[in-house]
Amino acid sequence: MYKFNVVTAEEHQLTQLLDRVEQSLDQGLLPVEVFCDDTVFRAEMDRIFTRAWVFVAHDSEIPKSGDYVLRKIGLDQVIVARDDEGKVNVMLNHCRHRGSQVCHEDTGNTRHFKCPYHGWIYNLKGEFSGAPHFADAYGAPLDKQAWGLKRAPKVESFHGFVFACLSDDVPPLKEYLGGMAWALETIVGLHPKGMVAIKPPERFTVRADWKSGAENFAGDAYHVSTGHLSAGLCDFIPDVRQVSTIARGYDFGNGNSFIGHELSQWGPDFEFWGYPKEMVEQFDFSGLDEVQVEMIKKAPPTVGTVFPNFSYLRFPQPATPGGRPFPFTSIRMWQPISPGVMELWNWQFEYAFADAATMQESYLAGVFGFGSGGIFEQDDTAVWEGVAKAANSPWNRKDGVQLHYQQKRRPADENWQGPGKYYDTIYGEYLQEEFWRRWLRDMRRSTPAPVCDAAVDCHGDHE
Amino acid sequence: MMNAPSKAELYLLAQEWLATEAKLLDERRFWEWFAMLDDELVYHVPLREARLDYAAEFPAGAYRLMDTKAHVETRIKRLDTGAAWAETPPSRTLRVVGSVIVTPTERDDVIAVESALLLFRQRGHGDVGDTIPVRRQDQLRLTDAGPRLLRREALITEVVLMTPNLGVFI
Repeated sequence: MYKFNVVTAEEHQLTQLLDRVEQSLDQGLLPVEVFCDDTVFRAEMDRIFTRAWVFVAHDSEIPKSGDYVLRKIGLDQVIVARDDEGKVNVMLNHCRHRGSQVCHEDTGNTRHFKCPYHGWIYNLKGEFSGAPHFADAYGAPLDKQAWGLKRAPKVESFHGFVFACLSDDVPPLKEYLGGMAWALETIVGLHPKGMVAIKPPERFTVRADWKSGAENFAGDAYHVSTGHLSAGLCDFIPDVRQVSTIARGYDFGNGNSFIGHELSQWGPDFEFWGYPKEMVEQFDFSGLDEVQVEMIKKAPPTVGTVFPNFSYLRFPQPATPGGRPFPFTSIRMWQPISPGVMELWNWQFEYAFADAATMQESYLAGVFGFGSGGIFEQDDTAVWEGVAKAANSPWNRKDGVQLHYQQKRRPADENWQGPGKYYDTIYGEYLQEEFWRRWLRDMRRSTPAPVCDAAVDCHGDHE
Repeated sequence: MMNAPSKAELYLLAQEWLATEAKLLDERRFWEWFAMLDDELVYHVPLREARLDYAAEFPAGAYRLMDTKAHVETRIKRLDTGAAWAETPPSRTLRVVGSVIVTPTERDDVIAVESALLLFRQRGHGDVGDTIPVRRQDQLRLTDAGPRLLRREALITEVVLMTPNLGVFI
């Protein structure tokens, strides 16, 4: 069969599946195979990850000129480098001559990236800046932009969190985030010095689909009392079974949402996520409106997802058994690897103004709870493995099995003054539905047809 | 302590301690293993990055695990709850320990013991097993009741962990 026909058949199969997803969602259901499917995965890479704003790094990870880190946008490995003007460039880690990788360290500081194959050299902006035996091999100069590394056309930062988009066709980051930006400000914008990544991200392979992590953080507080029961039974968090009763929901549209927890019900010490008084005193609320301040005092956003694969978690938890609960801040990415397999990248963040002991306490709390050996995280990732297996089940597929998203719904709070919608209960799975509606919308866009890169049309220069 | 043991005696002591530890952990006799830990235990699993220089591979202060004895105790209690889903059913494990190097430290009652560990782990039911490769830099405190693990830096070979969690002790 010609490749043309294969593509058409696959396109047809995908369209049928997406139609079924849409009909299912209207009934509070979801076809199980979306959690592990070759066709779905390929389309996600083409239609979601090359077109959405994707988090790549935080300013604090590459503070100086020449600093770089290797990161991922979907399946693409990208170099995130700071140039001499202080600008962050996001570049595909492949030489334009034959495609070899030009950057070989996860992090470092450099003046240029040199391909090990034939020696093409690129500067911190990704511009072509030379090759060996140039006069003999090429004669006339090469266009340094046209033959530079592929660069993400959009790179923007939100309170130091750098996002990139591989498509030109997106609104500016803050506009794109919409109400989500309003909520994120209350999390990362509480001090003029901002937040810092305490250490590099931890990375581990999870045999679950990237969407299992993303949809869980988008709105699933229901799982806590069962999934994390062990944390209660071993007396680490004795009241873990009750945590979801104080969970709330913030829906900011486009599949971007937060779970909030009304921690203030546990007493005044738990206002503002339970930060110790001396830290709350240093928070600067002057940039926030009244609704924002009231929100983080009473029921702050604790868990959330920015579509597609950026999630956040801040919850008071002891760093050491029996210690005071400290609100650590975890930023994580659900990196797609293959259908039903992801890498989990987990950073711990803290306010830059915090002293060294506080940083350490915050880091330890996050690592003990949500690192690869985290006593919460382990159980999440283990149960998500079953979801990918269910998606691969011939029996499930034969019978078109759909998963249940039909919890009892209550209307959103009519008195909510902020953007988006606020629900005073997390039951209802309404945030997960929004995640899937957004996914469906992005997946409905056709795969971009490969077009010749305009920059490549320069053979005439050689004449 | 009795009279200063010879190098050969120390080597034998360390070798036996490591083999016993491996057996107890493979047989999931966690509380018996726990009794071999010093009260001042520091148990670290550092993060690792792909770098050109070996020394730069372990960013200072960055860890996958940074446990004290209290953290380890909570982990074992958790495994005993019947609700530790990451280890339900428990992994079947085999720890092979070798390349042991024993050196004295500044303290008479503490020896440095380095070893290489290949931990094979089959999770779940019939899943393909994982291997966790680790170089361990330990300190054992020699007490009248036997050696106790005072410090462990478990340097995992991988930068991206291929086993899905550190639900087993390494």
